[in-house]
Amino acid sequence: MKIYVVIPTFNESSVIREVIESVLQFGYRVIVVDDGSFDRTSEIAAELPVILIRHSVNLGQGAALETGMEAARRLNGDFVVHFDGDGQHWASEIQHLLKPLIHGECDIVFGSRFLNGKPVQAGIIKRIVLFAGRWINYALTGLLLSDAHNGFRALNKKALWSVHFEQPGMAHATEILACVQKFSLRYQEIPVHVDYTVYSKRKGQRLSESLTILFHLLFKRN
Amino acid sequence: MKIIQIILLVALLLLFVGYLRRFRKPVIDKLLVSLLLLSGIVFVIYPELTNRLAHLLGIGRGADLIFYLAILIFGYIVLILYSKINKLENMLIELIRKQSLNSIDLQQQTDA
Repeated sequence: MKIYVVIPTFNESSVIREVIESVLQFGYRVIVVDDGSFDRTSEIAAELPVILIRHSVNLGQGAALETGMEAARRLNGDFVVHFDGDGQHWASEIQHLLKPLIHGECDIVFGSRFLNGKPVQAGIIKRIVLFAGRWINYALTGLLLSDAHNGFRALNKKALWSVHFEQPGMAHATEILACVQKFSLRYQEIPVHVDYTVYSKRKGQRLSESLTILFHLLFKRN
Repeated sequence: MKIIQIILLVALLLLFVGYLRRFRKPVIDKLLVSLLLLSGIVFVIYPELTNRLAHLLGIGRGADLIFYLAILIFGYIVLILYSKINKLENMLIELIRKQSLNSIDLQQQTDA
């Protein structure tokens, strides 16, 4: 059973070692996609036992994830996990996402920060944007998830070969839903934690970018 | 002939020459652009023609008609350019992805 954890990174040198090691300690194979960083991200990742793929220029998170998934396809992976490179996800929760896949209950699992009953430590504006994003996704794809813009997900082989990100930027959360619908993938949502550290907030998307994502979704559909 | 007419005619001709020199386009495209150029020349020399055309369409002045048409044409050009940039971007992504994946030996890295 080959499980690959795909970690897209862009200029994450201050946290990337920690993030990769946290995943490696659970015994997963790690594919790090360095999306054209100009800091030491690549050098640090190269020191660790991971598969390191480097984009020569910065393309965007969607493109980096797709490259990681393409590597997993070439390596005939059985399961693939998407894991953010900024340290906001918990590696200990990867197994929770994989469990329904391994049991064959579904094809794709989405992590949701809103399902574990605890109040989410996100600001009011962030919540409004996530709420709006959720309903825009519903309007565009017909799927209503509790946390549509969480980058923590797991795919089985069928999903890995069905889902292809064509949009390079941050619109992949919507693209993946479109694929779920198009290929009738069975999905589940599993509660996960999202750490809003000062670092991940700074690295996270600015609110103005959500408008850019919407624009891409509306006008760049192939 | 008024000075503005001379300026417009020269500009139109220069644009047309630039178009012919720079872009190798299908014949239909060349025909359309030539037609556009011809109508441009006619309208510059006989501006009152645009007035009559405008009245036919329910627009007050010929200049307004040209203005509206120009907006439409520019919108169309922007769309075409946008889709071309999009296509180029997709090609670039595909290229970089292939290059990044092919530059490493995946199997070997896995065994290591």
